Amino acid sequence: MTTLRLSFDRIRKQLASIARHPYFGFLAFGSILVVLRLLAIGGVIPNSLMKSLVITMIYAIIALGFSLLLGYGGLASLGTAGFVGLGTYFIGHFSGTLGYPFAATLLISLLGAIVLGAIVGFISLRIEGMYLAIITLGLSEILREVFKSFTAFTNGVNGLGFRDFALFGLPVSDTAVDFIVIFVFILIILGTLNIIKSPTGRALLAMKNSDSAAQSMGIGLMKYRLLAFILATIYAVIGGLLYMMDQQFSIPTTWSLDFSLNILAAVVVGGAQSITGIILGTFMIFGLNMTVLKEIAFFREYPDATWIVSGLLIILITMFYPGGLIRLIQAIRFWLVKTGKKLKRKWRIHRYGEDD
Amino acid sequence: MAKMIDSLLQGFRLHRLNRLRDQRSFLENYLPILVKAIRDREARRTALWNERAEAALRGPAILADIATPALAAEKQAALAKIEERYRWRFKALAQSKKRALERSADPAVETTFAHRAEELESRKRQTLTKCALRFETPLERSQSDLAAAKEAYRLKSEAVQAKAEKRLTLEKAKADRSVAAKTASYESKIALLGNKIEAVRGVLIARRSADADSMMPEDVLLSVRNLSMRFGGLLAVDNLSFDVRKGEIFGLIGPNGAGKTTIFNCITRFYRATAGEMLYRKNAVEVIRLNDYPVHDIIRQGIVRTFQNVELVWELSILDNLLVAAHTVYRTGFFGQLFHTPKLRREEEVMRAKAFSVLNTLGLLPYAFAIPYGLPYGILKKIELARTLMAHPRLIILDEPAAGLNDKETEELAVLIKKIRDDYHATIFLVEHDMGLVMDVCDTICAISFGKKLALGTPAEIQADKLVRSAYLGEES
Ligand SMILES: Nc1ncnc2c1ncn2[C@@H]1O[C@H](COP(=O)(O)OP(=O)(O)O)[C@@H](O)[C@H]1O
Repeated sequence: MTTLRLSFDRIRKQLASIARHPYFGFLAFGSILVVLRLLAIGGVIPNSLMKSLVITMIYAIIALGFSLLLGYGGLASLGTAGFVGLGTYFIGHFSGTLGYPFAATLLISLLGAIVLGAIVGFISLRIEGMYLAIITLGLSEILREVFKSFTAFTNGVNGLGFRDFALFGLPVSDTAVDFIVIFVFILIILGTLNIIKSPTGRALLAMKNSDSAAQSMGIGLMKYRLLAFILATIYAVIGGLLYMMDQQFSIPTTWSLDFSLNILAAVVVGGAQSITGIILGTFMIFGLNMTVLKEIAFFREYPDATWIVSGLLIILITMFYPGGLIRLIQAIRFWLVKTGKKLKRKWRIHRYGEDD
Repeated sequence: MAKMIDSLLQGFRLHRLNRLRDQRSFLENYLPILVKAIRDREARRTALWNERAEAALRGPAILADIATPALAAEKQAALAKIEERYRWRFKALAQSKKRALERSADPAVETTFAHRAEELESRKRQTLTKCALRFETPLERSQSDLAAAKEAYRLKSEAVQAKAEKRLTLEKAKADRSVAAKTASYESKIALLGNKIEAVRGVLIARRSADADSMMPEDVLLSVRNLSMRFGGLLAVDNLSFDVRKGEIFGLIGPNGAGKTTIFNCITRFYRATAGEMLYRKNAVEVIRLNDYPVHDIIRQGIVRTFQNVELVWELSILDNLLVAAHTVYRTGFFGQLFHTPKLRREEEVMRAKAFSVLNTLGLLPYAFAIPYGLPYGILKKIELARTLMAHPRLIILDEPAAGLNDKETEELAVLIKKIRDDYHATIFLVEHDMGLVMDVCDTICAISFGKKLALGTPAEIQADKLVRSAYLGEES
């Protein structure tokens, strides 16, 4: 019996060490998403809720890329929308209209992202801060004009549809797309985690804190600025590919400044350096009105009022928790622990009298 | 043409030499970490086997009424736990009594509670006895039975001990074998690399062009020649020359605005010098012109600097800050980092071990996992210093290290600077305003004023120099 207890102890210790691994939380989160999707198949939860969660995940991928830029590299950009839009047209045109295999589309998209990211990265070496943001905004608007006018590529202002998506010759159903999104989302989270916990992540942070200190430690500005922009662009383009798979439609009006600003807000509100924070932030900006508010009668009557709620939340959080939602969560956790301790103490005094 | 090819070949050899050296230093640093991991595993398994042996003997020991130390300890712990539980129960009872008495002064209350206390006391005694019984044999037995049980225990304990000993020796032999194998394989690799390094070095030195030596004497590490720096109409540094010798502590002093920081920034390539050149002996065979290197390559040549106003990464722990400073030492590429390959993990382990050893040298270990926010300024300055030691420095340039420190901290700093020079075999170049520190630690001092050299010499010579005195007195009066 004692031997049994010993082995239990060992198993418990091992489980605890697994649970402490940084991947654990995110893998568990992914499993929950998969279970939710399965429940939606079974009809336990509404399909519309699942749809909103899937699109939120896609936005969260884009936001994660943006956080590498803003939260780690300290670089401002308002060009996100254009890059995401480009991703949607890449898949819509090459896999949809032209019927290329998906691998070719992916390759083209990644190359496109690298070239574009490198261009913006080079610009960022000369122009910094607010001006850089404005230039990226301009770039994004140029892209939008391209989307409008290059009708052979984008079908112009009428929008481009994308149906009958096939992978390796097999048709992919809507449900399968959801699983793909979940899978890519978790992969991207783990990859981001690896990057920020490696010399590259630390180099980006060093660059954000001080250009000159970073350079004196051998961190070349050119390499890391380019890298930050290329990564953010790749994330955005991947987001675009997934968006097209999920929504099956892309129209230039979607890829306006609003979209970029919403991503920016999601990152800032969530907490620019925390993956959990950014997921929460994205949910707050994009997911909340689609899942929760939509169920409230008032908002069904005035759907635009949901933006007022988002706006208010942004103002409140940035006012009281400049570090983002993640700070709020930490504060709540801290408060719960503290209150728990206080209650326990009160109960002790009630039951056992003052300490001796 | 032949000369160009020759220099190209020398370049290749140098590159190869550096790579080989990196590989060797990685292997040398990783071996102790590996050995420690093997030993830790051995210790864990040893503890496990001991626990198992104790567990196997528990039953027979109880049967034979033998209080082995482990059993005695377990019994005592169990009894103490019960005592503690009842102590709280008695406290709760006392509290209820107090409250009941507050409600009514009925004498019946007293008796009820006395009764309940008695009941609790007897329950406690029962529990204690029952618990104690768990550690004794429950059977009524004759002397001979007991003797048989004792004999059985003796046999069992011998068997268990023999088995445990066998396991432990096996475990130890396995670990020893593993350590020996790893050590041997690593050492042979290191020796092989050593041979290669020697070979490449031999060729390099044999083919060395005479230029390097003619450019700069053997014992000079950094030679600044006719340096000038002009900002618009202002000539901040005016035709300045000096040599920094290997292994010395060199001080550059001058009143405010003399151009010290400007010189410093020229050497580290933050400013582009208007005229003049800076030669640096990178290694035994190579003298380079620092003018040809971009800022972020300076550290790769072995020149590390600190900043006057502490420039740490505020979001990262002190340990991670040191790892940032080791940036150039990492060999894993981006994709290795993206997938956290074993190579990266091994490198991270080596760097962390190095960081801990540096922190230990500077007495900063307690802060390893702290965030720099809110740490005392003296500590932050020391962290800046610690960072310079992460990337194999040959020349450490300190920008006013004593600025903002009190007298005691400055004294500590002096000791530390000497220690760093001796332990890390680095040359130290310091730009300083604090005369006390400079006179205390420097071997050679260069005094400047308005971008021009006033004097160059030992501290005693500088103190005696008329020009220096007038420049300083002029400022102070
Ligand atoms: N970036 C710059 N642009 C223009 N003038 C500068 C610059 N840096 C330093 N100077 C000028 O050069 C002179 C020397 O300054 P500095 O090297 O900082 O002196 P110190 O470090 O000895 O106090 C000062 O007169 C200063 O105004």
